Amino acid sequence: MTLTMFTLNAFYGLALAMNMFIIASGLNLIFGVLRVINFAHGMFYMFGAYITFTVAKTWGAPFFVGVLAAAVALGLIAFVVERLLLRHLYDKEHLMQLLFTFALVLLMSDAAKMIWGTDQYSVGYPPGMGGAVNLGFVMLPQYQLFLCVVGPLIAVAMWFVVDRTRWGRVVRAATQDREMLASLGVNVPMVYAAVFTIGSALAGVGGALAAPRIALVPGMDATIINECFIIVIIGGLGNMWGSFLGALAFGFVVQFGTVLAPNWQDVLPYVLMLVVLIIRPWGLLGRPETGH
Amino acid sequence: MKYSALLVAAGVLSAGTAFAQQAPIKIGAMYPLTGGGAVYGVPAMAGHQLAVEELNAKGGIMGRKIESIERDDKMNPSAASSTMKELITKDKADIIVGGLSSAVGLAMSEVSKQEKVVYISTIPKTIQMTTDKLHKYVFRTASNTDLEGDTMAMLAGKNKLGKICHLQLDYAYGNDLEAGILKALPKYAPDAKVVLTLKPKLGATDFNPFIPQVMAAGCDGVLSGLWGPHFVSWVKQAAPLGFFNKIKWISGGEIGSHEIAGELKAEYPDNVISNTYELWYTANDPSHAAFQAKLAKKLGTQETPQWAVLGYIGVMYTAAAMEKAKSTDPDKVAEALEGLTIGTPVGKLTIDAKTHQANIGQFWGPMVKKPDRAYRMMEPAEYIQPK
Repeated sequence: MTLTMFTLNAFYGLALAMNMFIIASGLNLIFGVLRVINFAHGMFYMFGAYITFTVAKTWGAPFFVGVLAAAVALGLIAFVVERLLLRHLYDKEHLMQLLFTFALVLLMSDAAKMIWGTDQYSVGYPPGMGGAVNLGFVMLPQYQLFLCVVGPLIAVAMWFVVDRTRWGRVVRAATQDREMLASLGVNVPMVYAAVFTIGSALAGVGGALAAPRIALVPGMDATIINECFIIVIIGGLGNMWGSFLGALAFGFVVQFGTVLAPNWQDVLPYVLMLVVLIIRPWGLLGRPETGH
Repeated sequence: MKYSALLVAAGVLSAGTAFAQQAPIKIGAMYPLTGGGAVYGVPAMAGHQLAVEELNAKGGIMGRKIESIERDDKMNPSAASSTMKELITKDKADIIVGGLSSAVGLAMSEVSKQEKVVYISTIPKTIQMTTDKLHKYVFRTASNTDLEGDTMAMLAGKNKLGKICHLQLDYAYGNDLEAGILKALPKYAPDAKVVLTLKPKLGATDFNPFIPQVMAAGCDGVLSGLWGPHFVSWVKQAAPLGFFNKIKWISGGEIGSHEIAGELKAEYPDNVISNTYELWYTANDPSHAAFQAKLAKKLGTQETPQWAVLGYIGVMYTAAAMEKAKSTDPDKVAEALEGLTIGTPVGKLTIDAKTHQANIGQFWGPMVKKPDRAYRMMEPAEYIQPK
C-alpha cells in the first residue's frame, strides 16, 4: 500500500468512525443512564436523514437548517415517547423494554412509508463542501474532513457537559442510585426524559450528517443499529470515551479490512467485536460488573 | 329516490352475477414492499395493479374476474419461499408473478418447481433461472444477465475501452452479470483487459474502501452492476474526487431510469452510459403512450418509474396464456406460455419455447444534460432487443 493509499484509507476510516460515533454516542448515553436498549435508535437515525431531505431539498432551506430541524424533531418525538410511554417501563423487565422499542421501529417504519413513500432520495452536499482538498500527494473530500472535525467536537462537548457541569453530575448520579437522588430532591423523571431526548437528537444529527454521503432508502435503519450496538459493546456499555474508541476501531477495521480482505467485508465488524470480547468481555473502557 | 337506489342495486347485482358465475382467477403477486427493495417493488406492484384493473374492466380472463393477492417478498429468499408456499396452498393462487432480487427469484423458482405452479419472473435477472435451474413451470419476462452482459461488452468495445475495472455486487445478480460480460468481451473488445475486479456487498452504503482502488488502477472505463441506491452512494462518495471526469461508466442495473436521474438531478455524473426498461419520454410502440397516460393518472405524475411496465407485462402474459390454454391448469398454462407472443407497451414480445426467456429489450444510451430540464435524460436512447 502506497503512502497516498494509506493516508486516504486512514482518513476514510476516521470519517466513517466519526459519523458512527455521533450516532452511537446517543445510544450509549441512553443505555448508560436509563439502562434501556433502544432498538428504535436506527429508526431515529433514518428519520434524521429523511427530515433533512424534506427541509433542505424539498423546502430548499440551507443544509444546516435541515440538520438542526432533524435534531429538534427527533428530540421532540423522543420527549413525547418517553413521557407518554417509555417511563412506565423502567421498573419492568428488560424484555418489555426491548419489545416496546421494537414496536416503535415497526410503527415508525410505517409512518415513514406514509410520509415519504418508498422512493429513493438524495441530499446534496452543503455549498463549498462538494469538492476535495488537494494536499499534493492525496485528495481529501471536504465533507468527510468536516465530519472528522464535528465528531471530536461532539465528543468534547458531551464530556464537558457530563463531567464538568452540575447537570452532568446529576446525570451521573442517576446512573448510580436513582432513589437516593430522588430523596435529595432531584426531579429524576425529568433527568431521564432529558437524557432520552438528547440521545435521540444525536441519532437525528447523525442521520442528517450522513445524508449527503449516501442514498436515502427505506430500510437504511436496519444495518446502522447493528453497527451502533457493535461500537457500544466494543467500547464498553455506558462509557462515552469507550464509544469514541469503539467507533475508531470500527472505522479503521471496516475501511482497511475491506481493502485488504474484501471477501471478509460482511463479517469484519463481528470479528472485531468477537476479538474485543474475548480479551476484554466488558469492552475497551467498560468496567466489569461486580457486587451483584 | 327510491327508484334510483333500486336501479343502482339492480345494476350492482347484475354486474355481480356476470362475474359471480365462476370463481375468480387468483394471481399471486410478490414484490418487496418494505425495506430497501421497496423503491422498485412498490412501482412494480402499481404496474401489476394497473394491468389487473384494466383486465377486470374488460371482463377479466376467460370471463372470470381476476383476484390479485399481493404480498411483500421482503427481498429475502427464505421469507419469499414461505410466503409463496402460503399463496399456493392457503390462498389457492393459480399462478405467481413477481420477485425483484435474483436471490429471491431463484428461491421462488424452486417453490414453483416443487408445487408445480407457474411462476413468471418479472424482474429477477440471474441467468441460472433459464439455464441450469430451468424447469417446466418457470418463465421470465425480464431481461437476463447474459443479455445485459452482452450489451455491456458491446458498449465497452464501441467506446474503445482498453483497461477495464469491473465492479459488481457480490451476490447472484452481480456474479452472473460478471460472467455474462466476460463471456462476450472477447467478441466485441478483443484487446480490452480487465485490470481490477471489485465486489462490494449487496446493500453496501460505504464505498470508500473501493473508490481509491479504482482510481489508482488506471482504467479508462468501469463496467458496473451497481444498481439503485448502490450507484447513488457511489456517486456521492466518488464525485468529490473528480472520479467521473476521466472514467467512462458503463452500467447495467437500470441506472439510466428516470427514478435515478430525477432524484440525483444536478448530482448525476458525466460519462455514464446505462440502461432502462422504459422511459416516459421515449416510445417504441403505439400502445406505449396509452399505457403511459394510464400509469401517469394512477401514480399522479407524468415522470413515471420504469418498474411499473415489468409488473404490467407479467399480468398481461398471465392473461394471454390462460386465454390460449382456455384453462388455469398449471401444466396447460406452462405449455401455452412456450412460444407465446403478445403486444406490450415496449413492443411485441415472444417467450422462447426452449429457454422460457422473453426477448424483452432495454433502452441503452448516454445520460446527457438538457438545457430545459433539471435532470439528465437518455439521449439518444437506443432500444436493443435480443433476436
